[in-house]
Amino acid sequence: MSVNNLQKASLAAAAGTTGISGAAHENAVDALIAKIKDTNDKVRTEAWLGAGKVGAPAVKPLARVMTDEELEVARAAKHGLWKIVRHSGRPGADDEKKAVVAELMGLLGNDQPTPVRREVLWMLSEIGGEESIKPIAALLSNKELQEDTRMVLQRIPGRESVAALEAGLKAAPEDFKLNIAQSLRQRGAKVRGLACVKLVPTKKTDVKPLQ
Amino acid sequence: MKRTKQLDRREFLAAAGAAVGVPYLIRPNVLASLGRTGANERITIGFIGVGGMGGYHLSDMKGFREAGVVNIAAVCDVDENRLARAVKEAGAAVQPYRDYRYILERKDIDAVVISTPDHWHAVQTVHAAECGKHVYVEKPACCTIEEGYAMIAAAKQNKVSIQVGSQGRSQPEAYLAHRYLVNGNIGHIDKVTCFHYNSPEDGNPVPDSDPPPELDWDFWLGPLRWRPYNKRYCHGTFRWIMESGAGQIRDRGAHVMSCAMWWMGADGTGPVTIEATGTPPTKGLWDSAVTMDVTYTFKNPDWVLTWNQHTGNAVPAEERTGKEPGGKITRPDYGAVYHGTKGTFVHWGGDGGTWVEKKAREWKPPAGAQDVYKSPGHKEDWFNGIKTGAKTIMNIEASVGVANLCILGNLSYILGRKLHWDQAKQEVVGDEQARRMMSRPQRHPYHL
Repeated sequence: MSVNNLQKASLAAAAGTTGISGAAHENAVDALIAKIKDTNDKVRTEAWLGAGKVGAPAVKPLARVMTDEELEVARAAKHGLWKIVRHSGRPGADDEKKAVVAELMGLLGNDQPTPVRREVLWMLSEIGGEESIKPIAALLSNKELQEDTRMVLQRIPGRESVAALEAGLKAAPEDFKLNIAQSLRQRGAKVRGLACVKLVPTKKTDVKPLQ
Repeated sequence: MKRTKQLDRREFLAAAGAAVGVPYLIRPNVLASLGRTGANERITIGFIGVGGMGGYHLSDMKGFREAGVVNIAAVCDVDENRLARAVKEAGAAVQPYRDYRYILERKDIDAVVISTPDHWHAVQTVHAAECGKHVYVEKPACCTIEEGYAMIAAAKQNKVSIQVGSQGRSQPEAYLAHRYLVNGNIGHIDKVTCFHYNSPEDGNPVPDSDPPPELDWDFWLGPLRWRPYNKRYCHGTFRWIMESGAGQIRDRGAHVMSCAMWWMGADGTGPVTIEATGTPPTKGLWDSAVTMDVTYTFKNPDWVLTWNQHTGNAVPAEERTGKEPGGKITRPDYGAVYHGTKGTFVHWGGDGGTWVEKKAREWKPPAGAQDVYKSPGHKEDWFNGIKTGAKTIMNIEASVGVANLCILGNLSYILGRKLHWDQAKQEVVGDEQARRMMSRPQRHPYHL
């Protein structure tokens, strides 16, 4: 495919003009995944650019390909998943967004690889609503994901996310309390007894000054 | 959209200005007494980030040291090799640091030059301002709308002088262009079209790996969400990653569109709509748009600014003798065309090299013509701001305005849709996802 075709694919993806419905979904998902796994980088790119209109049914299949051993295939799958998130978040597409959020929440469990869960958390930071707070907040106790989790909760507006952070602060080990306090302050909450350490230097160099 | 699902303005501003009123754990000597360096006193400077542009600024500042204008007290970098080189460059009595916060602790340091990757600009500028330091920070000012808001707030609250490194405004020919345009030589201008070549694709993608021993990768990433080190994402190449440099529209847009906003008298204003399209890279880690077209529509006054990023779309550069104020045109592949009711005007470059059409260079102002501010040089203008409190030519409000253009252009490209912007409220209107992306949570403890 030429660059011009890529440009057309980009424009079509942006416009989101081609809707898909009913039984066509299955075929569309299979076709998308096949192209995402193609050896030609331009075919892969065209595929992920068009993933938005395939929508929620493609979320889990793409997540499976995100850990493909072929680096560029994995990247294309990740791009495709993000495209779905960005497309479904457009104004006036609440049903599409809810469907995508539901699929994403199903990828937060410990049956998924950590890199996938981390990426999904950030996707939910853009489109997740109240319904996603509880499954996200559950990851505050996961050592590998807790920092991303508290940042994601910080980004999701509403009282529920603040409440989840407050509950997380109470339950957090000492070495993570400051992180959650940072998020709570960013959300305008008062945090007592945990001073901000952002200006405290901690890292030393081995380089010496000239004499 | 339900109002309850939006990050409302109060929440957003609370987040952006969260620095205010937060108890900091800092050593008692950190907060330097606020005040102006005397007219004849040397300004004592520390450098944060000394590779790339930071290396250039350090070298350039040595000239000001020799002229008795500044002292160079400290250099800082997260890469030990770069830091060691900077120590040699700066000379004796210059203290090296890995952690910029040691520089901010020093009461003897008046000002800092920040030349780190884009994702550090806002955090370090805000921290420096909170410690009473004046700041010269590389462009673009910020990566998110929230960061820009916090930078403006910190500068105002702490009364420090900030100059952002869109030095095109300080070039000799920029003055000539500005004077030519404000005097109506091409009539009323209703459109400015910026041209630039493509952002690169990564021709040699590699898997993630361990960082080299000289690099503190955690500190390099700083505010960004954690990711493993990759050789294609570090010094220099951060420009092509969306979360940090975000492509030509930021790297050069912060120059070319800076000139446009200055010459159009549009600092402090913003577009009402932003619409972008583009093509992505087909492989590799770099994810900034390769080609890109963005249209910014301004109202009251009505004009349109476009960013057109396509290799080969440059306006052919003028023949020059080399004796013109800016010398020969060495960067002919980017610039802008100004469309007026009485003609057009072209400039090339827009950064440290800014070249304008002959008709502007040769124009002799008649009696009564309007003059414009002529910068004595970008750093000299900053020194003047430090000593007198005068607003710098690329002050933080203007710089955030230009950075916001870059941010919103990329946001429209990423989301694949037109955005509506409320300049007075500094927020995207009617798009909840875009509103969330006006800010980006930062990793502990590297935050605003």
